This record gives sequence, structure tokens and C-alpha cells, in this order.
Amino acid sequence: MIDIVGLKKSFGHNEVLKGINIHVEKGEIISILGPSGSGKTTLLRCLNYLESPDEGEIIIDDVSINARKVNKKEVYQLRKKSAMVFQGYNLFQHKTALQNVMEGLVVVQKKSVSEAKEKALKVLQKVGLENKIDAYPSQLSGGQQQRVGIARALALNPEVILFDEPTSALDPELVGEVLAVIAKIAREGKTMIIVTHEMNFAREISNRIIFMDGGVVVEEGIPQQIFTEQKEERTKQFLKRMTPELDYSI
Amino acid sequence: MGKAFDPALIIEFIPMLVKYLGVTLEILCFSILFGTILGIIVALPKLFHVPIARQIVTVYISFIRGTPILIQLFLVYYGLPAFLSIWDIDITRMDALYFVIITYSLSHGAIFAEIFRSAIQAIDVGQTEAAYSVGMKPIQSFFRIVFPQAIRIAFPNMANSVIGSLKDTSLAFTIGVMDMMGRGETLIASTAHALEVYISLSIVYYVIVLLFEKVFSVSEKYLNRYHSQGISSI
Repeated sequence: MIDIVGLKKSFGHNEVLKGINIHVEKGEIISILGPSGSGKTTLLRCLNYLESPDEGEIIIDDVSINARKVNKKEVYQLRKKSAMVFQGYNLFQHKTALQNVMEGLVVVQKKSVSEAKEKALKVLQKVGLENKIDAYPSQLSGGQQQRVGIARALALNPEVILFDEPTSALDPELVGEVLAVIAKIAREGKTMIIVTHEMNFAREISNRIIFMDGGVVVEEGIPQQIFTEQKEERTKQFLKRMTPELDYSI
Repeated sequence: MGKAFDPALIIEFIPMLVKYLGVTLEILCFSILFGTILGIIVALPKLFHVPIARQIVTVYISFIRGTPILIQLFLVYYGLPAFLSIWDIDITRMDALYFVIITYSLSHGAIFAEIFRSAIQAIDVGQTEAAYSVGMKPIQSFFRIVFPQAIRIAFPNMANSVIGSLKDTSLAFTIGVMDMMGRGETLIASTAHALEVYISLSIVYYVIVLLFEKVFSVSEKYLNRYHSQGISSI
């Protein structure tokens, strides 16, 4: 359903993506792991065209884009196929939780206000914020804001939801509530691509894990394989750093 | 110095001056209206980095900020007819009020442009990205997400600048406009009670400024409704 073919992106002389090929099936939950600077966030942002790739193809559902000859209309169509959950939440600051979720439904999907409201309420209930619908982002905790962010993405009913390090900006005690919401959505069969540093979460939730380093996909496979019997040395070293084995010897 | 100080005249003069408040407010309203339109137009080349136009507006803003409004007023009053006479357009008989409105509009345009630009640039780029990610187009994103938030930031500066220019309208009498200040000058000429007139004028201006401030502070509270008090959580 999602095909990324030969995707390349440079910032100046720095080639961040060096030809990425990824295929994602409908309903799959993919976690992208890798050290910082490996290009995983850039890859995600390219899928939403917040970053325009220099070369390669992106195909989501029936929309296909070639980076070399892309036009605005195609970009809008591609963006409608995905929704992004940001590291810094990026909720619309001047709108309440409910309005944040309704905005895209009304403005982009042209739903009536009452229809949008009904849908938004349902989704906010799903993320456990039915009591906070009239709160502005500044009145919500980080975890609550991120759950609104997830609701905003989910309400659009996109083909795929893109999570860009959704818990990296959160206080440790708030991480759990956000991961629980993501896991809940995952169980409903939504296609998701998650960039994360939460190793255990990635291992539990994903159908497949992609390990990136230096702008290329180093290794991919089911969580079991990536976490216990990795083939590549770079994967092994990264996971060793991220999940240190405790040494109890005295 | 004129005659002996008579406090009763202060009260007596106030209604005579207030009659000309309309002219003062007329200058203020029109120059804010045209200044806002001009300010938006002038802010665009800087926001979108339009070559040449950007340099031109930079010089314009710099000039307005760097010269006294009184001199700008004289430049327009004497300069504009001279400039237009090149094309045989005669505006020497035009009401002085229009020259005042033109000058203040030009002045507001430059100041508002900078206020708008900085307010729009102060909005986190993440807001635009979020708007794009839900599928909005740039125009929708600007008018629905960025602009409403920019107003909150621009408003206190605009309010200050409006109050400042309300007081600046008192310079209009120098080219013969009969506003409150102009009326005050004629009162001085006819009664020779300069101090009383100036005290009356200061009372009238001060009361209007206080009213403006009240209105602005209520508006500001409304604009800040979504902004938490104290330190923001992010």
C-alpha cells in the first residue's frame, strides 16, 4: 500500500537520505529505529511532504509522486493520505482540543460542523480526553496535548499515521499514557509508521522494525529478529547502547 | 505671557475644544485604516523575500522610522504638490486635512508593517507544518492558523502605536488643520489664556487616551484567552 522507492534528500552538501526503499502493507505497524542523524525523521517528513525529497518515488494508496516532477496538487493529495503526530505536538494554540480535531475535518474534508463535531468527540473519547474538549493546549499537560495530537491525526482517517518521536518531548511519567493510546489504535488495525527511541514499546507493538543509520536502511525484520538475532554489526551496537544489560556482578 | 491665570477658563474651554474631537478622530481613523492596508502590503515583500521590492520597503521603513513625523508632514505638504505638478496635476487647493491623512497613513504603514512582520515570524513554524499535515493549503494555513495567532502578538504594539499617533495628530495644526489643537491655538490668539488652553487640551487628550487604553486592555484579555497565565508549559 505504501511504497518508497529510491528516496534521496540532501540538506546542502549533507546527504541525509541516500536512496531509501521501503514497502508497507495495509495494517502494518512499522517502527523505525536508529541513532540520531540517521535520517529517520527526515524520511517521515518526506512522506508528509513537509520536506521535499530530491529524488525517488512515494506511493501511498492511489497517489503516486515522483520527486523530480511533482506539482502542488499531487502534494496536497499525498498529504491527505497521511497524518502526522509531531514530537512537539504542534497543536493549534488558539483552538481548543475539540477545535483542533475538527479543523481538518471541516476545512480540508469539508464535513459539516455537526458531523465534524460528532466525529471529533468520538476520537477524543478514544484517547481519553472527553473531559478536556474545551481546554486550550496551554491548559493541558504534555501527555494530554500529545493525545489531542493523536486524535487530530486519527480523526482524519488517513491511510497511514506517521508518528515522529511522539514521546521524546514528554516527562517520563507521561510517556506511558501516550504509548497506551498508540497501542490502542494499533490494535484497531490502523497502518502506522513510528519513529521512536522507546525500544521496548517498538518491540511489543510493531509487526516490523526498520533500522536506519547514515541515511540508509541497514536492516529490517520482525522485532524478534532485530532485537535478538540481528545480522548487521551496526544494529547490534546500536541496540546494545539503547538497551544496556545490567551488570550485577560485584 | 498673557493675562492672569484663571482656573475657571479650563472648564469653560473643554467643550469648545471637544467640538473638534471629530477632526482628530477622523485623522486617526483614516490613517489607521490606510496604514493597516499599506502595512500589510509593505510587510509582504519582507515575509516572502521578494527581491528589489524588499529593498525598497526596507528603505521606506527605515526613512519613516528615522525622521520626525513633523518633518514628514511638511515633506508631504510641500513635496506632494511639487511632485504631482510634474504631470500638471494641481493639488495646491486640496484641503490640508488630506495631506495630514496621507502623511499619517504613510507613517503608520511603515510602523504596522514591521509589527505585522515580526508578529507573523514569531509564530512557530510547527503551526504551519501541522496545518499542512492535516491537508490545508498555504492560504488556509495562513488565514486560519498563523494570522489569528499573530494578531495576539501584534495587538499590544498596534495599540501603543495608535495611542502614540492620537497624540501626534496634534501636529496637524501646523499646516492649518482645524483639529482640537488648531482650535486651541485660535483660542489662545483670541483670549491670551495660553496656559488654561493647554491644560484643557491635556485633559481632553488624556481622557481619550485613558478610554483607548481601557478598550485595548479588554480586547487584549480576549485575545489572550487561549494563552495561559504565567510561564507556558512548553
